[in-house]
Amino acid sequence: MPESEWVLLVRYSEIHLKGLNKPFFERKLIEAIKAVLSDMDVVIKKAQGRVYVHGLALTDIELAISRLKKVFGIHSVSPALAVDATWNTIVEAAYTLFADALKEKSSASFKVIARRADKSFALSSDEINRQLGGLLITRFPELFVDVHIPSIRLGVEIREYAFLYIREVRCAGGMPVGSSGQAALLLSGGIDSPVAGFLVAKRGVTLCAIHFLSPPYTSERARDKVEALTKILSAYTGQIRLHLVPFTQIQLLIHENCRPNETVLLMRRMMMRIAERIAASEGALALVTGEAIGQVASQTMESLIVTNEVVKMPVLRPLIGFDKQEIIEYAKAIGSYETSILPYEDCCTVFVPRHPLTRPVLSKLVESEAQFDYNKAIEDALNNTKVVTINRHLDYSPQA
Amino acid sequence: MLIYLDNSATTKPFKAVAETVNNCLTELYFNPASAYPQAVSTERKVEQVRLLFTQALFASPAEIIFTSGGTESNNIAIAGATEAMRNPQQFITTSVEHPSVFEVFRRLETKKVNVEYAGVDSYGAVQLDEFKALLNENTSFISMMHVNNEVGAINDIEQAHRLIKEYAPQALFHVDGVQAFCKLPFAKLLCDMYSISGHKFNAPKGVGLLYVRKGTPFAGGFLGGGQERGLRSGTTNVPGILGMGEALNQYSKNQNEWLNGMRACKLRLAANIKSIKDTLVNGPDPQKGAPHILNISFLGVRGEVLLHALAEKGILVSTGSACSARKKNNNRVLHAMGIAGERLDGAVRFSFCPFNTLKEMDGTAQILSELVTDLRKFKRK
Repeated sequence: MPESEWVLLVRYSEIHLKGLNKPFFERKLIEAIKAVLSDMDVVIKKAQGRVYVHGLALTDIELAISRLKKVFGIHSVSPALAVDATWNTIVEAAYTLFADALKEKSSASFKVIARRADKSFALSSDEINRQLGGLLITRFPELFVDVHIPSIRLGVEIREYAFLYIREVRCAGGMPVGSSGQAALLLSGGIDSPVAGFLVAKRGVTLCAIHFLSPPYTSERARDKVEALTKILSAYTGQIRLHLVPFTQIQLLIHENCRPNETVLLMRRMMMRIAERIAASEGALALVTGEAIGQVASQTMESLIVTNEVVKMPVLRPLIGFDKQEIIEYAKAIGSYETSILPYEDCCTVFVPRHPLTRPVLSKLVESEAQFDYNKAIEDALNNTKVVTINRHLDYSPQA
Repeated sequence: MLIYLDNSATTKPFKAVAETVNNCLTELYFNPASAYPQAVSTERKVEQVRLLFTQALFASPAEIIFTSGGTESNNIAIAGATEAMRNPQQFITTSVEHPSVFEVFRRLETKKVNVEYAGVDSYGAVQLDEFKALLNENTSFISMMHVNNEVGAINDIEQAHRLIKEYAPQALFHVDGVQAFCKLPFAKLLCDMYSISGHKFNAPKGVGLLYVRKGTPFAGGFLGGGQERGLRSGTTNVPGILGMGEALNQYSKNQNEWLNGMRACKLRLAANIKSIKDTLVNGPDPQKGAPHILNISFLGVRGEVLLHALAEKGILVSTGSACSARKKNNNRVLHAMGIAGERLDGAVRFSFCPFNTLKEMDGTAQILSELVTDLRKFKRK
């Protein structure tokens, strides 16, 4: 291809640690890259520990980078100038990059970091560093070498072609979605659960999501909000099947039959039961919640134990040790925060008692549950659950 | 079946209005500022509508500026008058104004302008004693709504006007008439500026007007092509204006009958709801306030929940002005009336238009009675 072309050089995250399964992870990663760039006319090539995206229109480069930042399994991306691997073309390309990088600078430190994967190239990596560095200083007198903390790092990789780059954009890291099975996320509409979903998906897990609706106590706007959150997540995870469970009847039964201070925990036990059923039907292997120890009454250690007790499936709680502020910072970085704080009631806030239990006793809760036929109510809720398939929303940005 | 009782948020346009608008979009699509005969005849139609409004407002054509609606009229009234003043000093408004007035004053305050807010009585009407005490020779501008959008309280504009003439004779007086126009008998305006919004009286959205009394210093709104005598540039909204003219035409022909009809609906619903226990009217006695707004608190029920439950049954109401429905716990008006706690949480606004029937009121009350009983079982414990 090149005489001279802009390509994106994509670096893996920790796939390189994998042994015999490495081709599987690489395939998943390339699938994900293809999916987010599907509307661009690109050619994707795999090399040793790298993926190259060729054929990008110059005007698409920034958009492509913003999408790749959301692909798990990518460590970083560099827009690189690819040229034929001859000394003269490499030098010319380096001049081009530096002419641009130095536009608004009166002086700058720099360093050349060459990697010669193609050992047939005449100069060794160290020789490239020295000779190219020398030529650059002659050409741009404002440059000086700093091998420890340079402000500009020129990467030079010699392979089939030579790739030169200055910018390195950090990406989401993790492992490609689809490489670690599926889990079902309990998505409330608050700040925590989207972050929990993000963190689990980051380890390569495919997600489906479960949301509980309580009309007329919650509005259509609350439902729109949870769909918006799912769309935001889908940019990272790909398609998510969102299950909308009508929960009002169960809440009313609990409210009528049980002690007020128990309502939240009983509600959560019902939610876990329903979630496990839906998870199983989706082929998910675990549940995911946004719980953190002690954040609210239903998330004390004792409360977690009694809500965990009703399910056999493992419950993943990636935020378990996070402070609220840390979760908020994550939510902002993911882009879910502004949507999460929209002020619509969700089903958890509707029937909150004034003094919820923080040290529940399991036997008492079981006794309370025996006051009504929750199995039938659960069947009804499952039978009336609606599923919305949210496809990957690439450049989605909800109106706050 | 749909029973639409959110007419203070917006109204369904009259059929004749929709036909007029449609005709403008398909046939009469010319720019009235152009030079050929089709444009001239379009301009004449716009001017006919202006004349129609001069009759309803007892005004002259040069006093009417077509705008995009109530929010624009309120914004440019305040901004345009302020800009034309040599040395604006004290501004006075009330604590219950619509956000399109209230927020403009809030911004003026951030620019170190002195703004005073007159309070309201427990029925939502401006306390004229308090208002009078604020007036002085340094008062530059006063804005007061005619009919309150949340509870239907009618302010005594005539008395306010008299007080202003006596205690603040140099002040300009702007009245937000968005909820009043067509809903009160047409009468001579006792103010310098008056805002009107088309979609509140069965005209399309996106059109309204600002009355500016002759001789009032006013710098205008948008700059541009010089439409509306240079006071509000922007290509003339012919479909909107002609549609709004048709809506006024309908109201002019039927106003008596319709006002009585809306009042009858309001009284019937109020009487029916009275039989549901623990309900309270917010605002003036239903006999006295505006004919089209009834605000009721259902104690022990959250207004928002009742709203959603009613919507499931096809009855559409509001818990506050639609412009505030997306904000939580934000009923500035009821709060200013001293309403708090359960009564504030349980407030629901019913607002009527000439399409509503007594039968709808009976049906609504029946469903309300059932829902309220059900929902009260599930109070927070």
